[in-house]
Amino acid sequence: MPGKPLDPSFVARRVAQELFPGAVVALGPGLPCGLPSALRNGSGVWLVSDSGFLGFQGPGPEAADGEFQTVVMLSGGAYTGVVDIGGILRGGHTDIAVLQPAQVSANGDFVHWTTAATLGLFAPGSAVDMAYGASKVVAVIPHQNADGSSTILGQCSLPVDGAGQVDIIISDAAVINVSQDGLELVEIAPGWTVDEVVAMTDAPLSISSVKEMGFEVPALEMPNKVYPNALEALKDVPEGSIINVDGFAGPGGMAHYLMVGLRDLGVKGLQLISNTAGVARVSGFGAPNIIDHSILVENNQVAKATASYPVSPSASRPSAFEEAYNRGETELEVVPQGTLAERLRCGGAGVAAFYTPTGAGTLLGEGKEARSIGGKDYILETGLRADFCIIRGHKADTLGNVVYKGTSRNFNPVMATTAKITVVEVDEIVEPGELGPEEIVTPGLFVDRIVVRPPEFSAYL
Amino acid sequence: MTSVPEKPTANGKIFPTAQAALEGVFDGASVLVAGWSGSDEPEKLLRGLGEIGVGNLTLVCQGAWAQKSGQFGIGDLVATGQVKKMVSPLPFHPEYGGPVKDRWKSGELELEVVPQGVLAERLRAGGAGIGGVFLPTGARTRFAEGKELRPFDGKEHVLEFALKADFALLRAKTADTLGNMVYEGTGRNWNPIMAMAATVTVAEVDQVVEPGGLNPELVITQAIFIDRLVSAV
Repeated sequence: MPGKPLDPSFVARRVAQELFPGAVVALGPGLPCGLPSALRNGSGVWLVSDSGFLGFQGPGPEAADGEFQTVVMLSGGAYTGVVDIGGILRGGHTDIAVLQPAQVSANGDFVHWTTAATLGLFAPGSAVDMAYGASKVVAVIPHQNADGSSTILGQCSLPVDGAGQVDIIISDAAVINVSQDGLELVEIAPGWTVDEVVAMTDAPLSISSVKEMGFEVPALEMPNKVYPNALEALKDVPEGSIINVDGFAGPGGMAHYLMVGLRDLGVKGLQLISNTAGVARVSGFGAPNIIDHSILVENNQVAKATASYPVSPSASRPSAFEEAYNRGETELEVVPQGTLAERLRCGGAGVAAFYTPTGAGTLLGEGKEARSIGGKDYILETGLRADFCIIRGHKADTLGNVVYKGTSRNFNPVMATTAKITVVEVDEIVEPGELGPEEIVTPGLFVDRIVVRPPEFSAYL
Repeated sequence: MTSVPEKPTANGKIFPTAQAALEGVFDGASVLVAGWSGSDEPEKLLRGLGEIGVGNLTLVCQGAWAQKSGQFGIGDLVATGQVKKMVSPLPFHPEYGGPVKDRWKSGELELEVVPQGVLAERLRAGGAGIGGVFLPTGARTRFAEGKELRPFDGKEHVLEFALKADFALLRAKTADTLGNMVYEGTGRNWNPIMAMAATVTVAEVDQVVEPGGLNPELVITQAIFIDRLVSAV
């Protein structure tokens, strides 16, 4: 007598064990939508709905998730558009995607949502984006179809929606790891035997040590993001790091406090990505001791700058970077501003490269692939990513959601998406819920560390 | 694309009716429709399109896999026979079907099924002047068939080209008379990128306020992308 298939709520509780504090978790339609209810309070992770909803628990009365159940936005949740959702799914920001495929194969291929009635039509929704973008893909499925056939197959019998993307299968009878070596049965549900699970799986399973599935839901607390000061927030920046430095040209919108911290740490060989290579001090913004990238250059910390305005507007007042460059101490990559912004956006959104018309047929296009699309000339530019990003917000909540003031928004939101570690300095840190979900510009899932900017730095927004 | 008329300016951007706001939609036009399969769709504009009766349309939208009862949605427009083709990540509900499935099955409707993130990125590219993008999504599946592939960082990527359209039908909560717009909740979803990717954009809004009535920090779609406004009520 074989065991009884698990209730979906128990499957969801087992899925919850895959999560970790602060994880960004994307849910596809179907069984995955049971996950929010399984989590004790929904907080501690970022649940992503592809309808443009970050940070929710469910079910509840307020808004629709991917399955048209209603869910409740948590304090600190935010709304966003589908293009940004695509970037969150694809750009290395999503830790775990939970999907309900119709079939999974021994090498991790899957067929998403289809039925006999759909005549081969497939409804990918965001499932394909999730599968190709997430660090870990969890397939949640009934082990068998209603007719008793297996959903887990040596090879999918229908065209696949993802090739080799599934990492773990959690069914209503077992947990199976998927790797290049095939499928390994690691857990079985209570009441089942290994032989029974093997018998209803239409793919070879390797078996070494099999545990009984547990259903305890882990307690998940959002990791603390608030750091006491700039030095603490930056102390692990390694030598030779690529660092996004925000701001435009003047001192506004620039993370002065973090920049000073970086200087005081003295870490060398930095590669800065920034709109300028530090011209605020020489471009006539008044105060002679304005803080900009120059403090890092003068401290011999900068090996390279990627910038759109690398030089001072005045030849008689060269910037520290220009002087260092002329002495042969630094490298420079000049990129038009829109291309710089787009390269950052693509780096953060998982777009490897893009064709832009900017600079085609000029020096800026040299050495790059040129292509005519629809009769227009384009050049191929690649996405940019960084190790660290220092940005200047106006307010952040403790989850890392950030709002800006005025034009200091410019490069900040896009830079925040491209770095492994994003550090934000703000005038004020508030509790989750104090920034409205419609108002948040940089969602907290992009932000790792927050520091308060001391009052002596507050002259510029 | 050629037969789209000059953008009217006599009454500013505000049009009295959906039909008036849809002036110039021509046979064979491509139309972006914002909303989320029955939620936050520009219903009045969809209805207006049905009343105008213009045909051979190509719709680009989230799909028609759900619809609120009593509402005129994508499925209803498809049922009129005015739609020749639909580009969508979820064209109909695989289990519940509907007019989109029926007309596709009978060969009267062409479907191009695209992963949501790919569609969003293609529209964004169209609106932002990018010719094409290399995406990891769908490599080694049917979504990559016939497309150029290229490895980046050891991972296969698929070349997807920009998508633009003749018209975009949008739905916002509040606009000012200049066309700056804000959305409510997930109603934001497709609107901002669709607003950038069409020759003529028409937005159906709950409320119109004077310039200055919207906080500049909160505007999501800037007025330069909006050509026509019509009241949703």
